[in-house]
Amino acid sequence: MGFWLDLTASGLITGGIYAVVAVGLNLQYGLMRIMNIAHGEFLMVGAYLTWWAHTALGVNPLAFLPVVMVVLFLAGLLVYRVCFLRIARGAPSVEVIEARSLLVSFGLMYLVQNAVYLAWGADLRGYSFLTEPVEIAEARFTANRLVVFAFALAASLALLAVLRFTLIGKAVRAMMQSPVGAQLVGINTATLHPVVFGAGLALAGVAGALLSMVYEISPSMGEPYTVTALIVITLGGLGSAAGCLAGGLLLGLVEAFGMHFTNPSLKMLLSYGVFIAVLLARPKGLFSK
Amino acid sequence: MRFTLGMRNLALASLVIVAALPAFAQDVKIGYAIARTGPWAPGAQVTQEPNYILWAEQVNAAGGLSVKGVKRKIELVAYDDRSEMETMLRTYEKLMGTDKVDLVLPPWGTGANFAVMPLLQKYGYPVLAPTATGRKLLEMKNPYFFAMLQQPDLMMGALAELLVSRGVKTAAVIYVDELFGLENVGALEAALKAKNIRIVEKKSYPLGVKDLSPVLKDIKAKNPDAFIGITYPPDTFLVTGQAKEIAFNPKVFYAAVGTAFPVYQQKMGATVEGVMGLGTWNPKSNPGTKAYFDAHVAKFKKEPDRWASAHGWAGLQILQQAVEKVGLDRKALRDAIANGEFDTIIGKIRFKDGENVSTPGIVSQWQKGEFEVVWPKARATAQAIVPKPAWK
Repeated sequence: MGFWLDLTASGLITGGIYAVVAVGLNLQYGLMRIMNIAHGEFLMVGAYLTWWAHTALGVNPLAFLPVVMVVLFLAGLLVYRVCFLRIARGAPSVEVIEARSLLVSFGLMYLVQNAVYLAWGADLRGYSFLTEPVEIAEARFTANRLVVFAFALAASLALLAVLRFTLIGKAVRAMMQSPVGAQLVGINTATLHPVVFGAGLALAGVAGALLSMVYEISPSMGEPYTVTALIVITLGGLGSAAGCLAGGLLLGLVEAFGMHFTNPSLKMLLSYGVFIAVLLARPKGLFSK
Repeated sequence: MRFTLGMRNLALASLVIVAALPAFAQDVKIGYAIARTGPWAPGAQVTQEPNYILWAEQVNAAGGLSVKGVKRKIELVAYDDRSEMETMLRTYEKLMGTDKVDLVLPPWGTGANFAVMPLLQKYGYPVLAPTATGRKLLEMKNPYFFAMLQQPDLMMGALAELLVSRGVKTAAVIYVDELFGLENVGALEAALKAKNIRIVEKKSYPLGVKDLSPVLKDIKAKNPDAFIGITYPPDTFLVTGQAKEIAFNPKVFYAAVGTAFPVYQQKMGATVEGVMGLGTWNPKSNPGTKAYFDAHVAKFKKEPDRWASAHGWAGLQILQQAVEKVGLDRKALRDAIANGEFDTIIGKIRFKDGENVSTPGIVSQWQKGEFEVVWPKARATAQAIVPKPAWK
């Protein structure tokens, strides 16, 4: 029994990490169809800011989370203003937004990555934080992984609540379904659009800050995370907060059990196997409507 | 017709003069492509490129590179290969084929070196590579390629000797699913078998893995004397952290690439105490390594790694000694490197069929903030601590 619990828990925790990585992109791509391929890069910026604050200024990484959030939110507004405003306004349909934002964010990806190379160099970086093991029902986990997991749960549930139960949430969903219709019923899309984009970037930054406690960081770390995020949100259903969490957890569990019962080298095969199976059964993802 | 011929001869003659004139005081152009951005950059920027820059600076400060006794300044012609094989190859093709630089220095990593080898032979540029390992490279029998690193059989052989000397009877092995992992695990299996150490578990894992605890829990249940991870840097950190997480503390804990990086200790802190890995030297090894270490830290405000950084420096020392002796004729240079013996910071080095046959396999261990050399005894800077202390 202890053994099953152990595997389940370690799968859920890794899954929580995947969900955290995906949550920001879920807002941008899932809800707004802005295909921000530079998502992982902004995550990396969050990681670097946290690492820098901790090692150079001695700031507690957890206490620094709100700062990362604000900085990246503001950066998000700026990036939206400079890069995506014209696309969102001028595009005749969401498909066009998708294609054009993909191209623009490719450029962003290089820009952000190279800015970090200039600022901090290419070296691997890292710090030690909350690495003490915590014992839960005979299973042991490091505290920093538990923090990431807790945040994944909290962020997903909060997002779910906001989207489902608040007027802002309704407005965001309306904007997604029909930008013109939303404007007609008095939703101020000119404000809402950049704010949601900024929130997506803020969440990416926080995810990076949390990951920097667990893994090492380097300027090229972002790309694999972008891929993970895309898989998770597609698996869960674009734009669905619950789907994002479920998709992440499912991947984590499949990997934990798969690696135990088969071979770790089959990890990719297992993850993509699940991905394909879900898409065959539910082409729009687990939680799509 | 006569006229044009005359013109042509004149033009040719003037070209020859122009080409010959500056050859006296001309700088020695040394080209290379290396990763400053992309996934190879963390390795390249710790282990390799800082050496090139520091070396050129030191040599120039001393008046220049002695080419058969004539001192000429070094001019580095350096490019970022962006961690792309294609960019790297195209850059070397340009450096050797079009720019015709005097010498080239190697790119970073086994894969990139493997890829550039045919070009080196085509243009006849000798290269001493500090970050390329594997018998497959040597089997190419490329006369212009010299591998500085100890080969897997030597490194794994040294580990097996250390283990058996400390009474280790069983070992569990994980290895990364890459050429590096496959070749080393093959060498390790042979070495352990020769010393009668039983392998109780052997599993591979893919690059970029984010969680290895399911595997480590399995291994913990089998309670081996030694854990040996043939790992790459991100996973080296991961297995260390997760072994501590699940309180898996075998008598010997060994991880491969990355343990020698200063960032390993900086990130993990006291956790690394007692962890063994691929190493070769530290500042205490000899006065040469001390001087190298101090100059490196003074220039870059960061430490070199305790394995291949020194091989990189030693390669430059060999190149410098060979150029002093035979000049920049690259064929003669190749022969001088192939047949000579050279003094370096990691000891005397000689090559046989492109392999460094002088540097033995070495095991190092983190002890109180330094990656101490613990095997073989002749190179040791400290005694091995076995069993490893509990995780901190």
